[in-house]
Amino acid sequence: MDKFLTLTALRRVVQLTAFLFFVYGATIFTTFYTGDKLTQNLPALSCAYDQSGGDLCALIPLQHQMDHRVSTIFTQGEKVLPALMGTLITIATVAGLILILNKAFCGWLCPLGFFQETITMIGTKLGLTQLGSLSHETVTKIRPIKWFIFLFLVLIFPLLTGIGFLGHEWGSPFCSICPSRIMTTAMTGDMSQVYISQANWGYFALSLIADLLFGLMLALALFVRQPFCRICPILPMQTLFKKIGLLRLVKNGDSHCDTCSSCVKACPMDIFEIQKHAVNENITHSDCTLCGRCVEFCPHDGVMNFKYGPFTILTSSKESFKKRTKIDKWWKA
Amino acid sequence: MNKTILTLLVAATLWGYGDGKMYWAPHGCDEGKVTASKHGGHGMGENTSLHAMNLEGNSSVTLITPDLSTENLTLINNTLILPKASIGGYYALVLNHRSDNQVDSAIRYVSQQGRPSKVSPTKLTALPKTDLEIVPDPLHREHDRYTASKSYRFLLHFQGKPLANTPVTLETRNTPTQTYTTDSTGAFSITLPNDFKNVQVGKRENKPSEFLLIAQHNDTNLLYKSSLTMPYSLNPNDFWQSQTYGAGAIFIGFLGGLFLYRRTKIQGVKRG
Repeated sequence: MDKFLTLTALRRVVQLTAFLFFVYGATIFTTFYTGDKLTQNLPALSCAYDQSGGDLCALIPLQHQMDHRVSTIFTQGEKVLPALMGTLITIATVAGLILILNKAFCGWLCPLGFFQETITMIGTKLGLTQLGSLSHETVTKIRPIKWFIFLFLVLIFPLLTGIGFLGHEWGSPFCSICPSRIMTTAMTGDMSQVYISQANWGYFALSLIADLLFGLMLALALFVRQPFCRICPILPMQTLFKKIGLLRLVKNGDSHCDTCSSCVKACPMDIFEIQKHAVNENITHSDCTLCGRCVEFCPHDGVMNFKYGPFTILTSSKESFKKRTKIDKWWKA
Repeated sequence: MNKTILTLLVAATLWGYGDGKMYWAPHGCDEGKVTASKHGGHGMGENTSLHAMNLEGNSSVTLITPDLSTENLTLINNTLILPKASIGGYYALVLNHRSDNQVDSAIRYVSQQGRPSKVSPTKLTALPKTDLEIVPDPLHREHDRYTASKSYRFLLHFQGKPLANTPVTLETRNTPTQTYTTDSTGAFSITLPNDFKNVQVGKRENKPSEFLLIAQHNDTNLLYKSSLTMPYSLNPNDFWQSQTYGAGAIFIGFLGGLFLYRRTKIQGVKRG
């Protein structure tokens, strides 16, 4: 029983509950209609194509606003404020949600994040050799991809579509390649999102990328932690507001940090910067999902801390490190 | 001669659909509809000019707005042009006609753009509008449309209560009439037929078709008839989208991932 009294165990319970809500929630808590969804601007990949879901991701309204509203500034001479109003509401809602839970939307609530972690657990139990951490070089190469996706697939391409420079297929290009669209709809028994479109080259390319990416993510998740999260455009969007988040990772390091790399090894996103020396500093990185594994696996008293506003809600300790390492060995055995 | 043949062909095509029944149909839809649906295709191209088919004599028309307020409208030559919408969401258009021994009603839901309504569409569909009523459970979702080859559930209500074991007919332009029977809770499900002709590649290149649901019920020497009409679009998965190729691409992606796994494992062994 003691094995289940860990932060990770608590996180799994929250993730499972969130998964059920975001994939099937419309059947109990909200309704089928978009207007009745919980926030309609969730900073996590809860897909709008899943009509049984309890909420939908902020990236879909953002792409639509770029395509249909912001573009009218250029095409119809619309005044800036009315044209941007929808986008401002979306951004304000996201900022409000980030204020409450910061990047924990990824590590604790995202259905696609939980799905990938579940696949990794299956891979571990199947005895597949797990790739512990990616090299600094690989991580550094991968990191800009999510910014590229955010800027081009979420903002620029939809805007150019609305202006008329690109075909309609580029109106919501991120949704067209997002693995959450395929995963969440498939989870409700709807396989209609698995397809290759032959409507034109744009549709063909996007549908092909979507399917290849989904298959790749499935296989990679068997032995790499969080493969899609590393390129997810939700992270850049959250990063814009992470400074205001009440929940944060605070480091109060000591001399041991230079030689110990337990936190980096524990981090599913391979954020090597968290090893750096810091004194009472908010070290919530752009890639951080606030999963809390670095706090669990830090062997030094009071070095890594989870803080909510002025309150410390979890702090690292030698004792909890020993317990957590033991559980980890038991799980991987 | 050519005109006569053309007229006969058109008549033969339309023969049977909604024959003798009161229902709503988009008015002069063809060109305008295609143009409207070319941009966006998220329910923005819904026709706001509608014709009350097979209507004889005086009838009352009520528009129920997304915030559930009602407005009485007037038909001109059995045609109605919806007023400009200020609130976005679903509007219910209700047509009632009463004679000595018969009560006819027709309902259509129209999706309009505007500032969001704070009332759930579930309240609009649940609101009793006519004595005999076919209630979508639910309506197609915002930014979406009824789609061919998909199944949808409806309820049949009489004076606000479920009507069990009652036949309901489904009519479309190109498929023979199908009859469904409500279950003990008044519910029935239909699958919209894939009956589009002259299909062009691309969703926005094909205008929506119409489906018509008709129910009737006798009570206290009165015959109640009710119809529900809505547009439905073709399903790209029936035409230019291949699900088999999609599954194949996922499999190739999966194999690519396994290849990376194998390569990583070999490199790991080499590194010692």
